[in-house]
Parts: sequence; C-alpha cells; structure tokens
Amino acid sequence: MLPLLRAIWQADAAFPSGAFAFSYGIEGALALRPDMSLGEFERLCAAVLQQRWASYDRIALQRAFRAGRDLDALAAVDREIEASTMIEALRAGSRRNGASFLAAHARLGQPLALKLRAQVKAGDCLGHIAVMQGAIWAALQLDEQHAALCSAYTVASGLITAAVRLGAVGALQGQSVLQALLPLIDALVATPLDDDAELESFIPILDIAAARHVHAELRLFAN
Amino acid sequence: MLHALRQAKAQATATVAARVGIGGPVGSGKTALIEALIPVLQRRGVDFAVVTNDLVTKEDAERLRRSGLIDPDRVSAVEAGACPHTVIREDPTLNIAAGDELEARFPGVELILFESGGDNLASTFSLDLVDWWIFVIDVAGGDDIPRKRGPGLLRCDLLVVNKIDLAPHVGVDLDRMLADARQVRGGKPVIATNLKAGTGVEAVADAISAAVLFRI
Repeated sequence: MLPLLRAIWQADAAFPSGAFAFSYGIEGALALRPDMSLGEFERLCAAVLQQRWASYDRIALQRAFRAGRDLDALAAVDREIEASTMIEALRAGSRRNGASFLAAHARLGQPLALKLRAQVKAGDCLGHIAVMQGAIWAALQLDEQHAALCSAYTVASGLITAAVRLGAVGALQGQSVLQALLPLIDALVATPLDDDAELESFIPILDIAAARHVHAELRLFAN
Repeated sequence: MLHALRQAKAQATATVAARVGIGGPVGSGKTALIEALIPVLQRRGVDFAVVTNDLVTKEDAERLRRSGLIDPDRVSAVEAGACPHTVIREDPTLNIAAGDELEARFPGVELILFESGGDNLASTFSLDLVDWWIFVIDVAGGDDIPRKRGPGLLRCDLLVVNKIDLAPHVGVDLDRMLADARQVRGGKPVIATNLKAGTGVEAVADAISAAVLFRI
C-alpha cells in the first residue's frame, strides 16, 4: 500500500509545489469567453486531459519516470519539451512550476531533487514540471501507473481550483466537473503508451488564451 | 551515516541570503517601506534583492523596477494565484524558488526582501520561506486594529505602524494605538513610521540589520 499512499501524498493539493498559482490557460480562456457555461467548462477540461495531458505531459512524465536517475536522459526530455512548446508563457510556467516542485522536494532532503536543483541552477537541465515529477516520483518509488494518475488528477483539480478562484464556477459545481472527469482520467491512464510516442498538444483556444494572458493588465495566475 | 544525513539536511535547507518577509493589508505601505529602505540599505552597503507577490497585477514589481532606486533585474514578481496568504504560508515554494534564482543570478546577495500581496490581519509568513518578518499596518485603518489581535500582527518579528502623520486627520489616538500594539504583542518590537517623510525608516533598517545581517 505504500506506493499508493505516496501517490495520494503527491496528488494532495496540500502538498506545496507551486501548482496553485498556475491556471493551465483557464484564466486566459475565461477572459476570452467570460460567459462559458458549466458544460463548456467541463468539455474544455476534458480537452486539456485528452489533447494536452494524455498526448504530451503523460509521455514526458513516463519517459522521465523510466529515465530514473539518468540526468542526461532527463535533460534530453526537458529539452524536447522546451523545443516543442510553442507558447512562451506555457514554457516559462512549466519551468517555474518545476522549480517550485523541486524546491519542495529539495527542502525535504530528497537526494535526486538536490541533484536536479543543482543541474537546473547550473543550466544543465531546464526543470520542466512533467520531467521533474517523473524523475522524483520514480525516486520516491511510486508505481508508474499511480504516477500517471497523480499527474492527470493534479492537472484536473488544478483546472477546477483555478476556475473556482476566478469565480467562474462554484466550489461544488467544480467538484461535480472533477467527479465527471474521473472516468476519463481512468480510461486515459489505462490506455497503453507506445514507446516511441511523440509529444503532441493541440488546443488552439488555450494556446491563444495563454499567449494573450501574458499581456493582460489583470492576472491572478502565472499562466 | 548520521553525519551524511546531517549533511544532506544542511544542503537541503541551505540558503545564502537572509530572507525577510514584509506583509500586511492592502494599502498599508509595504511597497513604500521597501522604497524607503532601498537607499538606506544601499548606503549601508547591503547587497539585496526583492521578490514581490502582487495579487492581481505586477503593479508593485513594476513600481519598484521603474523607481530608479534598484537594478530592475533585482526585482522578481511571483503571481499569487488569487491567494496572497497561500504563496507565503501554505505553499511558499514559488517564492523559495524565486529567492534561489535571485541568489544564483547575484552570487553576493545577502538579503532578499519578500513583499506579500495585500492580505488581511490573519496572514503570516512560513518560516520555510523567511528567517524573520515584518507586518505593516497603518493608522488610517483605525486605532482598533491592534486590539483585533490578528495572527499577522501578533506573530511578526517586527510590527510597523505606518502613516502616523495621518492620526489627527482620521481621529486616531496614536499614543494609545502604539500602546495597545505593544501590549498585545507582549513587548515584541513596534516601530512607528511616516514613510513619506522617512520617519522610522532607519529604525526598521537597524532592526533588519541586527536580526538577520548581524550588524548592530
């Protein structure tokens, strides 16, 4: 049961990792579509999980998880994320979230986190969040499938939390959306990944929203 | 084994610069305090940088960057994700990382000031983030603020009561307000400031120097 408990620990919003300050593009999307209905919001969350998380974050996470303590292999996944993320705000946000996640585990004395923090400091590694999660969660001996569940769940709950803080959905409405997304997360994680799967992400409304968000006068979230 | 564990723990928590938090309600004068401290710290030869936690905009960070008082690269802005207290208390990791990044960019830095986004009297800094922290209230908020005994006001290392020049204009008995503040804080330090005129700024700088820079 210990691997499962560790996964719950890492998926818990109370674990300090900086994730609360990132809206995953939702703040920008709500600025574009302030009258978004609850149904539309749920479909947008599902699109994030299907068209970004499953085809992009999950692949990076799995590669990093399997790379384990191989710092060169981790740096290679990191560089691929940097090269394949078109929107600067999303690249920078992923690095900043990764730095916060590393800061937490480094403060907890996790040896790989200390090494990775030094790598990032030296510029040998960029520290994107999916890569840092994959590496650290492997080092913490999470089960690989639990790590994927953990990653998908934190993305989904992060979307909901951001929308609640922005006043776009109520706290319980948000939980109804999250509950509705759980079977999708289960199905996505159960789908096997090809070893040679490439990183792909295509949600134009969120990319446009994130690009516009950088120049927004009013913004509560980092991206 | 024990030695190795101790070494890992020391490596995990080691930061080079002293980290000082500045919190308090919106409009109490947190940014003004930093603006007033900058020339004083510079004159004293302190190598420092600033992290701001603006709640909605980058107003405070931009105000400091454009002030001409400090190299703009020495000011980092961290978005508070709509939760000014979370970013300094429950999840200070974004601020910790911002401080680490400033230390890496400016190797000689010995002091980093973290300005909280405006919050309420319950806001407190995590000691994971800062070594010592200041809470700023202002006279115009009412002389009953100290008696409300918010955790921010009670637990900070230094309470600054700002805008003392406004006391006669807003019907505040300043002596009583300061006495109440000292009484509820059990003798922990309270400094009265008028940041527009520079009153009390040297005393705040002295307190920071003595507490975390070990300069008397």
